[in-house]
Amino acid sequence: MEQGNPNRKIAFGTYGAAFGITALIFATALFASTYFTERRVADIRSVQDNISVDILSLETQFDLLAENSCGDIEENSVLSSELLPIAARLSTLESQSNVNTDELTRLKRYYSLLQIKDLLLMKQVSEKCGLEPIFLLYFYSNAGDCPECEEQGYVLTALNERYPQLRIYSFDYNLDLSALRTLTSISNVKPPLPAIVINGRLETGFKEIDDIEAFIPELAELKQATSTEDESDAN
Amino acid sequence: MAVAVTTFITYTLLFAALYFEVFLLLSFLLRHGLKRPQIMPARRHSSLPTVAIVVPCYNEERTVARTIESLLNLEYPKEKIEIIVVDDGSKDATYEVASRYEEAGVRILRKENGGKHSALNLALLNTNSEIIGCLDADSSVEPDALMRIAESFENTSVSAVTPGIHVREPRTILEHIQTAEYRLSVFIRNALASVGSIFITPGPFSIFRSSVVRKLGGWRHGHSTEDLELGLRLQERGYTILNNPAATVWTAAPRTLKALFRQRIRWTYGFLRNTADYHFMIGNPRYGNLGLMILPTALLSIFAAIYFAAVLIFSAANSAFEAYIRLVASGWNIALDPLAFSASVYSTSFAIFLVYFAIAIVMGLIAIGSFISLGKHRLPASAFLFILIYSFIVPLWLSAAVVRAALKTGVAWR
Repeated sequence: MEQGNPNRKIAFGTYGAAFGITALIFATALFASTYFTERRVADIRSVQDNISVDILSLETQFDLLAENSCGDIEENSVLSSELLPIAARLSTLESQSNVNTDELTRLKRYYSLLQIKDLLLMKQVSEKCGLEPIFLLYFYSNAGDCPECEEQGYVLTALNERYPQLRIYSFDYNLDLSALRTLTSISNVKPPLPAIVINGRLETGFKEIDDIEAFIPELAELKQATSTEDESDAN
Repeated sequence: MAVAVTTFITYTLLFAALYFEVFLLLSFLLRHGLKRPQIMPARRHSSLPTVAIVVPCYNEERTVARTIESLLNLEYPKEKIEIIVVDDGSKDATYEVASRYEEAGVRILRKENGGKHSALNLALLNTNSEIIGCLDADSSVEPDALMRIAESFENTSVSAVTPGIHVREPRTILEHIQTAEYRLSVFIRNALASVGSIFITPGPFSIFRSSVVRKLGGWRHGHSTEDLELGLRLQERGYTILNNPAATVWTAAPRTLKALFRQRIRWTYGFLRNTADYHFMIGNPRYGNLGLMILPTALLSIFAAIYFAAVLIFSAANSAFEAYIRLVASGWNIALDPLAFSASVYSTSFAIFLVYFAIAIVMGLIAIGSFISLGKHRLPASAFLFILIYSFIVPLWLSAAVVRAALKTGVAWR
């Protein structure tokens, strides 16, 4: 074998072939990336479908309440177990560049709608059964006009970890959804954001955990309830 | 806007990087197929050229004996080989150690310290051998290496032949990583030869036709990279440089990060300054694939590596800042969000897939390098570590070298 080639000729053929192969690799990478992202979106869609079944089931449960006792209703029936993970997945998708934005917006609208339905149902259930849950509505914007929204999101996540029974619903203020428009106008929410509505009372601007705890004295009871429960579990 | 520009540059550079990998692979495969070069059987000794191997030394008392012994063990007709040790003004016992081999026929020249190129030129003045090569005192050769290389000089158009260079007895992690790197270099050098574009004739055991080196005026300082300068000069004048990956040379690789940085800054500095001196070749089709493709890509790759490192550092700083805000916001309540974590690990973004492809191809190139040089079928174990570690440290010495080349600071050998 000749070890090399005393070759000054420009290998235009190789240039072209290498370009073709590289383009093919690019196309394959694009295809793979799109395929896996689609699968992730499909995954979320199926979870959303499951949630809608759960909501329907909750509605049915509520209808049955007229005939049955309130003991059958669990306080955190849908939201904590199903809706929150979806929120996390949606925000991951949102941070990726090649996700179909129409599809994402569709999922977000649906998700917001489910949250509103859950809110209404839980309110009705609470009234009927004499529960006293705390509802916290959080309105944010990621249109670039709310620098504190990201941080506020982390605060609420931390708050929810501390008080799992607290019911937090988060809404993208700019989302085009008529039910959401109605909700914001009922709650008097307007920019500047972030805005938090706690059991009907509106608070605007960034709030620390301590601030929020100060707004809701009932939180202390929630916490106590949780820790007592933990102790009895331990016993 | 800034994001769009960054994205555009990132994908353009990723395309260029992949393109270059594919180009080298294709050039290699079209030229050779996957074979390890064999020695021609029944070589006629009378047709072999006379050879001078020069060992330039500066304070090499500890390593020079081993280098000389490996040269004495070369399978080559004794009457046709001449070993010349040039003591370039050493302050230690290099001369005394080398003198012990005078009886075995080794010639020893002594001079004032003047740099490696001056040592090589002195040897060139003092020999009549048809071909001349250099073996650094930190390297040794396989017995059949010279025979493999000398064959190529029967073709009178060949002016230089480069060997396959490997790390000698790797022990530290850093040396093992360089083992993988050198295998990749073996492939790259061979692929460059197949498009007539070798522009470095490495210090360890590159062999030249003496008449050509004399005609070109011998070695030059070349910004402390005389091997790169001579390679470019040969290419500029249209001489042919070949590569025989199976001619094996073992060289001592830097053992410490500091030594590695010093060496690589010198290499990159030398590359930048020498290509500045030979700037008229860049992008010039008169110099074939080297001018049109290889030199521009080599320059681009330096800036691409620095660019990617900058982007990575920026985004890492960004997410560290986010994590900090998150921790402060949650009252230092460290709770890992498992979903967010898994999402970042299994990211399905386009760029990540491209990087996977690029890494896979590099692995393939390292494997080819291993095979054509040593006949090994397995990747060195350190191949993945090489990619991981080098991604972080290469941009550091590249940046340092770019700054020093811009300021023309000069670089020292040690």
